[in-house]
Formats: sequence, structure tokens, C-alpha cells
Amino acid sequence: MLRIDAEKTVHFCDGMSRRDLLHAGALSLLGFGLPQLAAAKEAGAVKNDTDRNCIFLFLVGGPSQLDTFDMKPDAPAEIRGPYKPIKTNVPGIQISEIFPNVAKVADKFAIVRTLHHSAAGVHDTGHQMMQTGRLFLNGLEQPHAGCVYGYLKGTRNNLPAHVMIPKPIGPTGGNMPHGQNAGFLGKQYDPFIVNADPSDPNFEVPDLLPPDYISAVRLDRRRSLRAAVEQSMAALETSENAQLLDSAFENAYSLASSPEAREAFDLSKEPDALRDRYGRNKFGQSCLLARRLIERGVRFSTVNMFETVFNEITWDIHGSAPFSPIECYQNLVGPMFDKGYSALLTDLEERGMLENTMVVAMGEFGRTPKINPAGGRDHWPQCWSILFAGGGVQGGQIVGATDEIASEPVDRPVTPAEVVASVYHSLGVDLEHVLTAPGGRIFPVVDFGVKPIMELFS
Amino acid sequence: MRLYNCLLLAPLLAAVSSFSADFHIMPETITLRHQNDYQQLLTVEMDEGRAVDDLTRDVTYIVADPGVARVDEHGVAHPVAPGETRIEARVGDRTVSARVVVESLDPDRLWSFANDVQPALTKIGCNAGACHGAAAGKNGFKLSLRGYDHQHDYNVLTRQAKGRRVLIAEPDASLMLQKPSGGVPHGGGRLLRRDSLEYKIIREWIAQQAPAPSENDPELTAIEVFPKAIRRNVDAQQQLIVTASFSDGVSKDVTRWCKFGTTNDGVAVIADDGLATIKRPGGAALTVWYAGKVTFASVEVPFESEVSDAVFAQAERFNYIDDKVLDRLKALRIAPSKLCTDAEFVRRAYLDSTGVLPSERQAVAFLMDGAPDKRARLIDSLLGGDEYVDYWSYHWSDLMLASSTNPSLGSREALLAYYRFIRESVKANIGWDEFTRRVLTAQGSTLENGAANYFVLHKETTDLVETTSKAFMGLSITCARCHNHPMEKWTQDDYYGMANLLARVRLKNGDRSGETFVYSGDSGDILHPVYGKPMKPKPLDARPMPMNAPDRRAYLAEWLTSKENPYFARAIINRVWKNYMGVGLVEEVDDLRQTNPPTNEALFAALEEEFVANGYDVKQLMRDIMNSAAYQRSSEPRLGNESDQRNYSRYFPRRLPAEVILDGYSEVTRAPTKFSGYPDGWRALQLPDTNVASSFLTVFGRPERKMTCSCERNAEPTLSQALNISNGDTLNEKLRRDGNVIDRFLDSGDSLEQYVFDLYMAALTRTPSQEEEKGVLDACNGEEGWSALDRDERRRRLEDVTWAVLSGKEFLFNH
Repeated sequence: MLRIDAEKTVHFCDGMSRRDLLHAGALSLLGFGLPQLAAAKEAGAVKNDTDRNCIFLFLVGGPSQLDTFDMKPDAPAEIRGPYKPIKTNVPGIQISEIFPNVAKVADKFAIVRTLHHSAAGVHDTGHQMMQTGRLFLNGLEQPHAGCVYGYLKGTRNNLPAHVMIPKPIGPTGGNMPHGQNAGFLGKQYDPFIVNADPSDPNFEVPDLLPPDYISAVRLDRRRSLRAAVEQSMAALETSENAQLLDSAFENAYSLASSPEAREAFDLSKEPDALRDRYGRNKFGQSCLLARRLIERGVRFSTVNMFETVFNEITWDIHGSAPFSPIECYQNLVGPMFDKGYSALLTDLEERGMLENTMVVAMGEFGRTPKINPAGGRDHWPQCWSILFAGGGVQGGQIVGATDEIASEPVDRPVTPAEVVASVYHSLGVDLEHVLTAPGGRIFPVVDFGVKPIMELFS
Repeated sequence: MRLYNCLLLAPLLAAVSSFSADFHIMPETITLRHQNDYQQLLTVEMDEGRAVDDLTRDVTYIVADPGVARVDEHGVAHPVAPGETRIEARVGDRTVSARVVVESLDPDRLWSFANDVQPALTKIGCNAGACHGAAAGKNGFKLSLRGYDHQHDYNVLTRQAKGRRVLIAEPDASLMLQKPSGGVPHGGGRLLRRDSLEYKIIREWIAQQAPAPSENDPELTAIEVFPKAIRRNVDAQQQLIVTASFSDGVSKDVTRWCKFGTTNDGVAVIADDGLATIKRPGGAALTVWYAGKVTFASVEVPFESEVSDAVFAQAERFNYIDDKVLDRLKALRIAPSKLCTDAEFVRRAYLDSTGVLPSERQAVAFLMDGAPDKRARLIDSLLGGDEYVDYWSYHWSDLMLASSTNPSLGSREALLAYYRFIRESVKANIGWDEFTRRVLTAQGSTLENGAANYFVLHKETTDLVETTSKAFMGLSITCARCHNHPMEKWTQDDYYGMANLLARVRLKNGDRSGETFVYSGDSGDILHPVYGKPMKPKPLDARPMPMNAPDRRAYLAEWLTSKENPYFARAIINRVWKNYMGVGLVEEVDDLRQTNPPTNEALFAALEEEFVANGYDVKQLMRDIMNSAAYQRSSEPRLGNESDQRNYSRYFPRRLPAEVILDGYSEVTRAPTKFSGYPDGWRALQLPDTNVASSFLTVFGRPERKMTCSCERNAEPTLSQALNISNGDTLNEKLRRDGNVIDRFLDSGDSLEQYVFDLYMAALTRTPSQEEEKGVLDACNGEEGWSALDRDERRRRLEDVTWAVLSGKEFLFNH
């Protein structure tokens, strides 16, 4: 029998039998689901003395650096744009007037102003690289950092290791974006997708828990029957998708049999005043849910602020339909971020969770320094700003400097891979740890030689 | 003694036969016209058209007339003086030769901006998407992406930046050379060595007064890669060479200027200089891009298995498909699985062709049938049934985006007319060419001619041309809307020529609610965004039509459905093939790019030939596929094919489509799904619209029909699906519904064994094993015994048993 709780090192051979797997699955009652097997196999990949968490706030659409965190008030009008800088609670750091509440918590976060990438200037490339550290080339799908962390570290309890709120980013021009799932690690390490709007008054994660008429006895009976009613078919034993289905049912059972799961997703348990502070909108309540889940054992939460850039008001301010106008930064998108982000940092700190939880707020690229004829700004992967807080990050600082029109880094340029490396660094993941993909191909968690942004942690 | 000799010779002969390869030199004819021209030579061992060994390192070259040409130590041929000679390649005692023509070596020949300077700039990376080829350029310097627009790039280089980019008086001081070679600071870093060929070409071109691109420049007509097919083992290396042919008859070695790629870097990788390295068994293609032309070399790496030739010789062959499948399996040394059982076949065939489960009665009738041709007869009967029409109407409605979620599709009447057109086409089995013509040339009232709704769905000409390319040719041309496609041959000119064929479609409101009239206007064009004027209407790679000729759409439809169009038949064949075989010959199924070749070209070509010969008869194509041994193989792997996922050595198990699972649940539980606005008993596969709420269908990956893309349908198992089946109100509600299969059983007085038998037959098309039956009966009896239980408890236990079968892999997968 497999004993995960044995004191001596446990070795899991690859020739594990189906019976062993099922048995290991049975341990999920104790909080040991299938994902634990990988965690045990990959022991040593994550430092034991850290037990940190991470929240990604993905600002889908790509906020303009010039209108948010890299203001250039002395530049010509067609560069500096319509917004003015304001002071923050850190002397010498100014941000856009669209973020009055964020300005009050500037001591808690660091601004990195010199993100840049050289892949095609479309949304998808940035989405991939910021979440996986790599660009998707024909071949294997690279895993999201949260899935890598869940894979290496396993779940903390009955809750999934990585939760995506509320939904994945949909197509932003082309096929479904890459880099939002576990990629080559396998679908059992995919994030759990909430699939419902947390700001909905009747918010409930669909089908998370069994209906009342299915008692615990029946739940157990169904589970054991499911294994008993069909003989083993070699064709399905060798089908990866069929095996995935079984592990999905094990995970579903593990969630359904847990009262903690019901409680963790129940936002109505949060005080009204706090819910107001986050903002009663999809982004604000998603931030709150992310905090609530981390507090209850989820290791990684990814909040996607928007699911598309078409026919919706987002950070994607081309200035003409079906995209967004620049004014939305002041009257819709900016205020949502302002409330949600500042409330999240304050709330985490008040609960003593900030030191233990890294929060990264980022878009997929910046925007053209020059205002376009439609009064908006277009895609600009050459330079943009992102925010790091918590998880050991020294707040109240700026990393990197850009030229006079925020068109390119002039000091300390930072790549998306370095962002992912910094997240891993905070989480205690060994950057040289190597993941094995199907077919025996190996990938270090970040490309060899990619270093964290150490200035953040000083 | 004689016998002894034979025994001794047998293994020798075997060894010799494996060396029956041919010795080849590539290319076989070389023309050198300029002092700087050169041609890399390759000497390879060829077998059945595939390079099986690279002999370039072992070869000795002898030039018959050294006064005409010479070959250097790297195997590169250079001109010496005008004339003609042969270069002989010798390995051991075998020789082969190539013809060399050195034309009058014109010492004053000028470098061409289009054909020499642009490839050099591309090689250096100046015009890459990340650098000056970006849409916005870089630092005020913008080149066309990968150098497709010669006149624009020439103007930018010679006229902007106060003319400092090109200094004719002092070529080395030109910014164009100073920047990339590190003479002056450059944001992109140092990319160009002063002793490189690229530097030399640019420098000499400037010194020659920087001649502009002209109409008289020879035009690149084609590129060719050598060798075109490679069959090697793991760790082997093979150099590729690429030659370009020009309109003046010259061909030259452009290997140095090409961009190489691989479709499967697990199988083979290729370096910038064209040297390929084999990594693992399987198939791949090495792609080549040069100046907007693309080609590829196919790679096949056999598995290291001991499968004897007899296995392939003895494998069942039912029709032409099997010859091609087995050829490929033999080349890769992958053993085919045995044929499936009749019980497996009947369930599989029903689900794949009609999306419904065979009833117990239908299954038993088939199993009891003793006739040898019963599988063929079953196939005919399935393809002739109403459920076939439901299933394929649904399938093609995905392709045609029949959904009232599309705000343009005015009304339910219009949607129903659109669906009715699709359905009637499937029912009448009209040829795919005729179907396509009817869609693309549709006009009149959208309520009377449902096909016309295709034009209502796509109000923008750009949407229309992109969907048309994707749906009917499996080609994504969206990139070319804004610039030449960076990795394919489609140019922005091609895009706007094609788009203009659809630019004169006009809509006007009809009298009835939801009615639109579609007609062809006689004016109006879509403008090319760079030229600001319309392109002549022109199918992607065919001749343009006159600007004011009528019937632009008819011209498009004629080209699209002509035998010469290489994409049309293949796009639909690949979709049908994937439905039955689980994986497309090309994946993704609608990505028929030239640089994404099929896993089995011979098979694809044979299917195409047959399909076209049969008048684009989709049903006949399905009949051929279903009657092949390849389709009828067991899904169970055998030693030597476990890792095959692309070559059809067995039936690949796949999760059932969302709609099929839901309908299966309705059928087995005798509790139909109620779809709002549709009659009772309507199945999911009969819905004409995806704008019908069903959380079950959404979670299981029903396409939204927002855009024509195979990515819309998802068949991968997820946690959300398991949660829906476990806790959701779809299956659970059907199990609890009054009057369902469980109620009927409890009313009937039948034995528990009978219930189990019926359940297995209905859900899995087989009888339960003794062990399975015992497991189920034990769970029903519990400690109390069945007779001691009240009706409610019995019901609950039967619900749980039924749930367990319907949530199992065997039910949810076709296998």
C-alpha cells in the first residue's frame, strides 16, 4: 500500500498500477488527491520553509503605461494624454489621478516600469508569456505558473491548488489563448474555474456541491459503484483523456464531500462593509473571492478582469469600436481597479496575509506613446508597467526607468519570463527545477539563466 | 552444399536489400551566372523517394572541366569561367553526377534590391515583427514585415532620415550598415559582422548607386527544397538545401536566406543553416520560408520495433484506404490492432454516424445476423436514416454558424430557414460542391432561400472572406488583412483580391419580419488599405476577373469548387475523416496551411481523388471510411502501437460530443430533455440553434457558433464536467423523474438481473460480466436484502447504479 504519510522518503515508480492509483485517490478524503502524487515525486522542488500563495490580477486588454503608472506630464499633449499625475503616500512616487485609493497604499507595492516583449504585438502573446514565462510555439503547451505551483506543491486541503476567477480569457482575435492551463503537465493540474460572477447576488459556483437529496451514504455508494460497474478496458486505460475523466470524478468527489469547500466559496459570509470596499462589481468581488480562497487553503488564484476585448469596456483603448475609449480609464475601468486593488492589499495586510501572499497586477502589453487619430492608444509591447506586492516584495519602490515618452526601457528592462521567475522566487520554487513533459522532453520551470527581479525583494 | 549456400546467403541478401537505395546528387542541374553565385551540393542515399542517408561527408567531388567550375571543401560549387561541365560525386566505387552551366560571368552585374538586399535584411532580422517590421516600426524606421514591399522599403531606406541610411559616396558610413554592425549605437544590438556575406551584398549594392527595385527585376517564381522527404533514425542529421527559381530562368541556392521550422520539434529540429537533427520516432515536416514562398520536407522516423513485414501483409484490407494506412504503418513500423468485435462495431458506428446509441433491439438484431456483409449493410442503413440527417445537419450548422446568438441573424424564422437549407442539403445528399455554390451565390429572400442568411451573418466583407476561407478551405487568412502573411504565401494583395469577390453583396430589408433580401450590387469595392484602391476581384491563387464583370460570387464559387483548387475537397474530407477516425489527417482539422502537411499525404490524395471522382459525395466518403478496416480496428492497443496517436493503427477512443451524451442520457433513462421552445422529446442533435440554454451542453463543450473554428468544440474531460454529472441537475433530474426507466422497472415486476441486463445493453451495448452483475446486485441488496427495502429506497439504489454506469468512461467514450 502507498503510504504518503510514511516518514521515510517515498518513491513512486512510474509503473504504478491502476489499483494503486485508485487507492491513492481514496486518500482524498484526507485531503490527498491525485495531485499529491506529483508533489511527492517532485519533492525538493519547492523550499519547505516557505508556504506562500500568489494572486494574479490579469488586467486584460493591456493598460496604458502613460495613463496609469508611468506618467510623463512634461511630454507633449499627444503623448502625455488626458490624465494628470497625483502624489502617493510614498514621497517621489506619482501615479495617475484615476487611482486615488491606490495612491494611498503605494507603500505596499512596487512598480516595475520596464516590462517589454518582442513577440507579435497581439494580446495572446503577452497573456501566454506573463503567465507561463514562455511563448507558445507549435509543440507543447506551456503551463501557467499557478498550475506549476499546484503541480509541485499539491493541494493544501480539499480545495483545488489553483482557482481561476471568474473565467478564462476568451479569444482576443484568433484561437483560444494559450497559457491559461496546466499545458503539458496534464489537465488534472488545470486551474479550477469558478464559472460564475462573484458580484451576482445569487453567486454560487455551479455544481460544486451535491443536491440535498444525495446523502453522504449515496455519494459514497455512487463512488464505489462507479469503479465496480465497468470492467477495465485496455483501450481506455491507455487513453489519457479517459484517465483524466476518472481523476476529474475523484476531484469532484473530494470537493463534494467537504463542508469546507461550501464555506470557502460562500461570499455572503463576508461582511457587507468589506464587500463594498472591494467594489460591488465583477472585478472587485473576484478580488475578494481570491482572498477568501487563499485564506482557506487555495495556493494560487488568477483573477481575469475581463474575458475579451471586443464589445466590452476594457483596458484595450484603441479609441474606436469594438474596442474601448480612453475615457473609460476615468469613468469605469480605472475606478474598478482602484477600489479592488487597494482593498485587496489593505485587507490582506490587516489579516496578516500580505507577507505570505504575492499579488501581481499586470496587463499583457503597454500602449502606443502617441495618441492615435481615434483618440486612443494601440498595442505597444515595447514598454509597460506592472505592480508587485506582498510575498516578500519591498513596497514603495520603482524598478526600471523609461525614456521621456515611455516608449522603451532605458534602465533595467524586464522580460515576462523574469516576472514568472520572480513569482517562483517568492513562492520558494527552485528556478532550476526541471519539469518533464510527455515524450521525455524536459523544461526548467523558467528558461535557464532567467533571474528573478531581485530589486523587488531587497 | 547448395543448401548451405542458400542459408548463408539469406541474411546477406536481406542485408543487401535493405541497401537497395539509390545514390543521388542534388540539385541535378546547376546554373551559375555571377561570380558570387554558388550552389551547395548534397549527396544522399535515396529509397522510395526518401533520403535515408546523408553522404555529404564521405563524398569526393570531381569536376570534369575544372576550367568551368570548382567545388570547395564544404561541397559548394563555384563558377570559374563560362561553359558547361559535370560534377561527379564518388563514394566508394559508386558515382553520380550533376550538370553545371556557367553563363557569361558579367562582372558588372548589379545586386538587386528585391532579390539580394531584401533577403539579406530578412536574414539579419531588420524587418522582423519584433523589430522594424512591426506595425509601428521601431524608432521611426519601419520596414514591411519580412520585406514583402520592395518599393516601400527602398523609399524608407534611401529617402527618409535625411538620406543618411544609404550614403552612396561612402557606403560603409551608411546608417543601414553602421547601425546593425555596431558602428553607431543601435537599440537592437549588434547583428551584422563586417566580414559577412550580408554586409558585402549591402555594401556593394550601395556602391553600385543603390539601384531601385524595378519592373524588370526577375521575379521569384518558386522555391524547392532538397531532399523533399527524409527517412532516418534517431540522432541522424540531414542538411537541407533550398533553391529559388526566377522568371529569367535562373535558379540559385538560397539556403542561407531561408527561415526553417518544424511541425513537431519532438521528432525533428532544424537549425538556422538548414541542418536537421532527428530526435524521436514519428512523423514531422520541416518547413521552409523564403521571400514569401513556403515549402516543406517531410520526415519519417521509424519506431524501433520488431514488427515483421508479414504483419502488414496479413493485415485486413477492405478498400483503398487500408492500403495507404498500412503503407504508412509499415514505414513507421507500427503494428495495426485486430478488428473490433461486432458489439463494439455496432455501438461505434451508430454513435459516429448518427450520434445515437443503438437500442437493445437494434443491437441484438445486428449481433444475431449471420451474413458476412452485415457490417456493410448496417453502414448503409445508418447513412440512410433520419438520425444521420439530424447529426450531420447539426455538424454543418456548426460550420455555417447557425445561431440566433448572432445579432445579425434577424429572426427565428430566418434562422430556421437557414437550418432548413442545411438540413435539406444533407437529406438530399447534394454534392459538397453544389452545397457550397448554393451558399456562396445565394440571393433573394432569406426566408425563402435559407442559404442567403450566410451573407446576413457576416455583414463585414472581411468577416465574410475569412469565414469562407476557413469553412470551405480550412485556411486562415486573417493575418493578411493587415500585412502579408508572415509564414504563408498569402499576401495582402491576395486577401483584398479575394475579399473583393464578396464586396458587392448587398442586403435590404424585406416586407416580412426578419426577412432580408440578398442581391449582388453592380458597384462598390473593398479598398486595399495600403494602395487606397480596390484590387481586381481574384480568388486566392487564381487569375483575376475584370473589375466590372458581373457575377463575382459565381466566379468565386466556380474557382472554389473546381478540381484545381487544392484546398476545397481536402478541407471537407479532413473534417469528415476526423469525425470517424478521431484525429484529422491534418490537425487542427481546419488548419490546411501549406506548412502544416498531413500525416499521410498518399492517403489524403487517394481520398481526394475518390471524393472528386464521386462528385463530392459526402455520404459516399463516409461509406468508404466506415467500410475500411482502419475504421473497424479495435481500440485496444497491441504491442508496438501503444504510442500511436496519428497513424490509425487502431480506433482512437474519444469522448462523445456534448449533444450525444445528453441525448444518450435521455434515451437510457427514458427521461427526455426539455428544451425551451421545442416540442417534448426533441433531441439536442435536432436543435437548429445553439441559442438554447443548457448548462450541460456548455460545460461539455458545445460550440457557440460565433466563429468558424474547430477550437469552438471541446471534447476534453474537465473537473466541471465531473461536477455537472455528479452534482448538477441534468443527469440527477433524469434519474429522479417520474415515469422514467427506473419507475417503469419498479412497476413491471421484472427481476433485478433484468434491469441490470437492460441497462448495460442500452448504455454500453453489451451484457454485464458476472463480476459486474454481482457488484451491482450487491450494491442494490445491501445488508438488508432487496425484498426488505421500500420502493423509495429501491429507487434510490437503482438511481445510484444507473448513475454509476452513465458516469463511467465506457459510456462517455466511443471506443
